[in-house]
Amino acid sequence: MPQTRRAFIRTTGIGLLSFYVAGCKLELTPGEARQQDIPFQVLQVEQVRILEAFGEVLLPGSAAAGLAHFIDHQLNAAPADQLLMIKYLGVDPPFTAFYTQGLAALNDTAKSVHGVQFFELSVDQKIALTGQIALANPDGWAGPPAPFFYFVLRNDAVDVFYGTKQGIESLGIPYMAHIEPPSRWGE
Amino acid sequence: MTLPTEKVDVVIVGSGAAGSAMAAKLAAGGKQVVILEAGPERGNRDLISSGIWARRLKWNGESVVEDGENPVGHVFNAGYGIGGSAMHHFAVWPRMHEEDFEMRSLYDRGLDWPFSYADLQAHYDQVQRESGIAGDAEKEIWRPPAEPYPMPPVPRFAQGSVIARGFDKLGMHTAPLPLAVTTREYNGREACIWDGWCGAGCPIGALANPLIIDLPIAFAHGAVLQANATVSRILSNVTGEFVTGVEFNNEAGETRQLMADLVVLAAFTVQNPRLMLASANDKHPSGLANSSGTLGKFIMSHSAALVYGLFDENTSCHLGAVGGQLVNQDGYGKNTHADAGAFGSYQWMIAQAVKPNDLLGMATTRPDLFGHDLHAFMQDAAHGFAGMTAVIEDLPLAENAVTLSSTLDRFGTPLARVTHTTHAQSKLLWQAVLEEGQAVFKAAGAREVWTGPQAAMHIMGGTIMGQDPAHSVCNTYGQAHDIPNLVIAGAGLFPTSAGVNPTFTIHALAARSSEHLLNHWNSIVQ
Ligand SMILES: Cc1cc2nc3c(=O)[nH]c(=O)nc-3n(C[C@H](O)[C@H](O)[C@H](O)COP(=O)(O)OP(=O)(O)OC[C@H]3O[C@@H](n4cnc5c(N)ncnc54)[C@H](O)[C@@H]3O)c2cc1C
Ligand code: SF4
Repeated sequence: MPQTRRAFIRTTGIGLLSFYVAGCKLELTPGEARQQDIPFQVLQVEQVRILEAFGEVLLPGSAAAGLAHFIDHQLNAAPADQLLMIKYLGVDPPFTAFYTQGLAALNDTAKSVHGVQFFELSVDQKIALTGQIALANPDGWAGPPAPFFYFVLRNDAVDVFYGTKQGIESLGIPYMAHIEPPSRWGE
Repeated sequence: MTLPTEKVDVVIVGSGAAGSAMAAKLAAGGKQVVILEAGPERGNRDLISSGIWARRLKWNGESVVEDGENPVGHVFNAGYGIGGSAMHHFAVWPRMHEEDFEMRSLYDRGLDWPFSYADLQAHYDQVQRESGIAGDAEKEIWRPPAEPYPMPPVPRFAQGSVIARGFDKLGMHTAPLPLAVTTREYNGREACIWDGWCGAGCPIGALANPLIIDLPIAFAHGAVLQANATVSRILSNVTGEFVTGVEFNNEAGETRQLMADLVVLAAFTVQNPRLMLASANDKHPSGLANSSGTLGKFIMSHSAALVYGLFDENTSCHLGAVGGQLVNQDGYGKNTHADAGAFGSYQWMIAQAVKPNDLLGMATTRPDLFGHDLHAFMQDAAHGFAGMTAVIEDLPLAENAVTLSSTLDRFGTPLARVTHTTHAQSKLLWQAVLEEGQAVFKAAGAREVWTGPQAAMHIMGGTIMGQDPAHSVCNTYGQAHDIPNLVIAGAGLFPTSAGVNPTFTIHALAARSSEHLLNHWNSIVQ
């Protein structure tokens, strides 16, 4: 039977990210996970630093919104539960190699051009390199096609920042859910 | 619901638009029906209003290898689980036009459909009453002969009015978009509230999806649905003249068989021919029912022509249904853009409700922007964004096909490989239509106009129907020419793609086919 709107809002509350810390299951939004320094399941510390630095260039505020925890959590989820946009962009799961190889290629490019890691570049250097990979593979790039990597990561950043109730409402657009998504996402 | 172990009247593979429609009609006609669905069980309360969470509704079955210059985008364009893609489809339900049924006779393209529009009209009308379509028959000047719509048209919000101004200025016509969405209470279903969450699945029953329309009827007549049941093979008798049932794998990974008098394949355009090819045997060495050699061939996918603009006035672009508010079919005649070397039909779906993120979201329309420029664009777009999409006919090509990959899935069945390159004249049509769309937006007063890449929308063909068994897989009722108790349902039957969305026609075909099967049951099954 169809459900009424009110009935749905009462019956929701599922779907927060689950993290196991010291044997306890915590349910947090990506933003909250970042604030609480929750350990990562798939990504290494250095990969997180590159990812967050790249996210900040792609969409400032996305690191604080929990971009790295969002991606890390999704990479650790069963394929049926994965919510990354890459799943319908012609790449077969698992997607971990796509992310880790792309981040490594980005970092290697920063090192070969500027002699430092991506997250150590100046803001202008990061922006220039991002603009470059948006258009073509830089020389020596050894990862997924650079413009595609840029496209996917940019959309992940948009998901975390603007794809939540808080993000949509930050644009002055009412969320108007039939069924509320995980209520604290991005809050 | 317990799955029968004895032979049943009908087994249906897939619970999407086509499978559910066939199940409702055949069960209501007194047949014992079992539906096997590869994906998970799902109810209205699983339809979370979020572009991110909606990705759970996308195809999550066995991988599909994609090939060709214009891949069909299978994961985006296919669904998984109860209701199939139809659970999150946008419910734009126009009819095909009379000339679409005679592509060979009138234009020397593809194949004629094995019947005319007049033969299908009563079924369109029946489905329209049952599912409920909102529209304005008078304003839709291009509409073929049809009963008036049972519901008043969808409302026009600011985005629709802004874009309609451009069409008006160019002397073009717009009408309310025909949508299988309730504009008032309809058969106990609530009216739509125009919040733009259709792509995440409409849980209030306003949009005609299988959970709302057909599955309740099927269940009320005793049909049984088994989720997490992936069919991997179709079984046939020793002479190869009949199919006898299917082999499937359940959630526990166990292989089971279910015998049936009639097998209906409704596993969507790619999986249907894959299963038939993978079920080859000594009587059907190149795939079940493939004596014509056309099984898997003539895969088509509409190109989407995407036009966007920014306006100074507030467009309220978050309001409405995701399908859109208005339609324009002025260019439906096959030769509208012949001077550009193009051929085929198209229609504009105008003023789609849009969210900030996801593949069809505002941010994705400007992939070149990042950083503070992207934030600035998002703020701007939230107030003044507008968009429209044209559905471009894809002319059939034999080399666009589903074949079997050499890679096996976890059950030992070869994966599907789908090769698709848009026909050269369809591509020229896409380009010409993009020009037209930009002219409309400029005439409407957009301060910025841009377009999106060629994107695939809807997948059709591969098990085409026709009069001649030498050139088609199925007959006029979807029965395989070679095996009368093997029936295909869905857009895989379409010999040509037309320039409109397929699902209304899928339903009309299912109504026509099931009526025939019930009326001739004893001569069809053994
Ligand atoms: C985002 C989106 C928007 C759309 N909007 C529109 C629109 O506005 N108008 C329109 O006309 N059309 C639209 N469509 C297309 C529409 O969804 C399809 O035309 C329609 O759903 C096809 O019906 P079907 O039953 O053939 O396939 P589906 O509805 O996809 O159902 C097929 C089912 O078969 C199951 N299956 C597959 N393989 C197996 C197997 N081996 N064993 C068991 N089960 C299996 C699948 O899991 C699935 O549930 C849209 C599609 C998408 C993705
Ligand atoms: S816009 Fe209407 S049809 Fe779409 S989800 Fe909302 S209520 Fe349902």
